[in-house]
Parts: sequence; structure tokens; C-alpha cells
Amino acid sequence: MLFLSTLLYIKTTNGDIMNQLRAAENGYQSRICTSSIRLLCWSGAWLAATALMRFGPKFLWNQASILTLLAVGLDVAVGVGMILANKKYVMELDELQQKVYLNALGITVGVAVIAGVPFSVMGLYHVIPFHPEIWHLLLLMGLTFMFSIAYGNWRYR
Amino acid sequence: MKNRLKVLRAERNWTQAELAEALDVSRQTINAIETGKFDPSLPLAFRAARLFGLRIEEIFHDEDGRTPATEIK
Repeated sequence: MLFLSTLLYIKTTNGDIMNQLRAAENGYQSRICTSSIRLLCWSGAWLAATALMRFGPKFLWNQASILTLLAVGLDVAVGVGMILANKKYVMELDELQQKVYLNALGITVGVAVIAGVPFSVMGLYHVIPFHPEIWHLLLLMGLTFMFSIAYGNWRYR
Repeated sequence: MKNRLKVLRAERNWTQAELAEALDVSRQTINAIETGKFDPSLPLAFRAARLFGLRIEEIFHDEDGRTPATEIK
């Protein structure tokens, strides 16, 4: 979610990333570019660590418990790094972008709660033909967050 | 809240990007302030006032045109 939203943020507000990389001065755009790249790297690392944790036991180490625990530990550690990178990124944003970000987070949490509970109830009573998975909710949250960021940027363009 | 940011910027032949750089914010923020879509925080208003060499109330004023100075009177 953070990976995609960071990509979207760079696309919608910062323009061409290579031009941003060439920014010599330590101005706002330069700082945001650095923060965005840092967050992108952490998000990519977390995605990779999560994929390793999810598929490693089955395809790489034949469900050896020690290695699975190590993969879980790595995923959590990289996840903490991603959270800190995200916090730093938000603190670097200017006040309008922080407002857009906060609005998007509020909408995302609201949608997750409003949609998540009925979705799990429908799964519990077999109203839907499949079992609700956590990734369904993560996907919904990711899409909601991206659309909210895009809407916020469009609104204040 | 209304403001004279666009006029003051035009008087100095500055682009939105140049003003944004001087105030350490994004160009989008300058545009949103100029069009009245977003009200700046007090620290940003102070930075703008310092940059233009004016008082805050000479740049920003209430929707009905009243400034803190006129209200005191």
C-alpha cells in the first residue's frame, strides 16, 4: 500500500523523479524526493520480506520452523523500518500535503472498518462463496488510500 | 480567509515555484493558498510576511475584509 501510494505521490506531485534527483539544493522538493525514495526502498524491502515469509516455507526451506521464525523476524524488523521511514516521510511533507495524507488515512481507516466487519460476517455465515482473507482487506485499504491521495491532490491542484 | 499572495508575487515577478522554494513548501501549496482553497498555518503566514517585508494582516485578511488591526480600532 505504501509502495503504491509513494509511487502515486511522486507521479502526481513531484513530477519526473529523475529531475528531482538532479535537484542540487536542499530545498523542499529535494528533501521530499529523498524521503520518497527512502520510503520506496523500505516498502520494496518489506514486500520482499513478506513474500519470503509467505512463500519461503513452502518453496525454499520445506517448512523448517527455525527458518520460518527467522523470516517472520526479518519481516517484522523490516516492517518497523518501513513504519519509521513513513513517519519521517510524513513529517517532511508540507502542511497541505500532510492534510491530504491525513484525510486519506482517515478515509482508509473508515472504509476498512465499515467494509471489513460486514465482509467477515458474510464469510462467517457463508453469504459469499469464498473465505474472507486479510489480503482482501489490505487490497481494499491500499486502493482506498491511493484514490484518496489522488483525490486530495486533484482537489488542491 | 483571503490573501494578497498572488498580487505580491506578481509585483515581484516571481513564479509559484520560486515562491514555494522561498517558503520551503510545494508549488501546490502556494497555488492552493492563492486560490483560497487552503489556509496556511501561522508559522507559514509569518514566513510569508517576513519574505515580503509586510505584516501578516497586510497579506491575509478575513473573508469580510476585516483584519485584526481594524477590529482593534
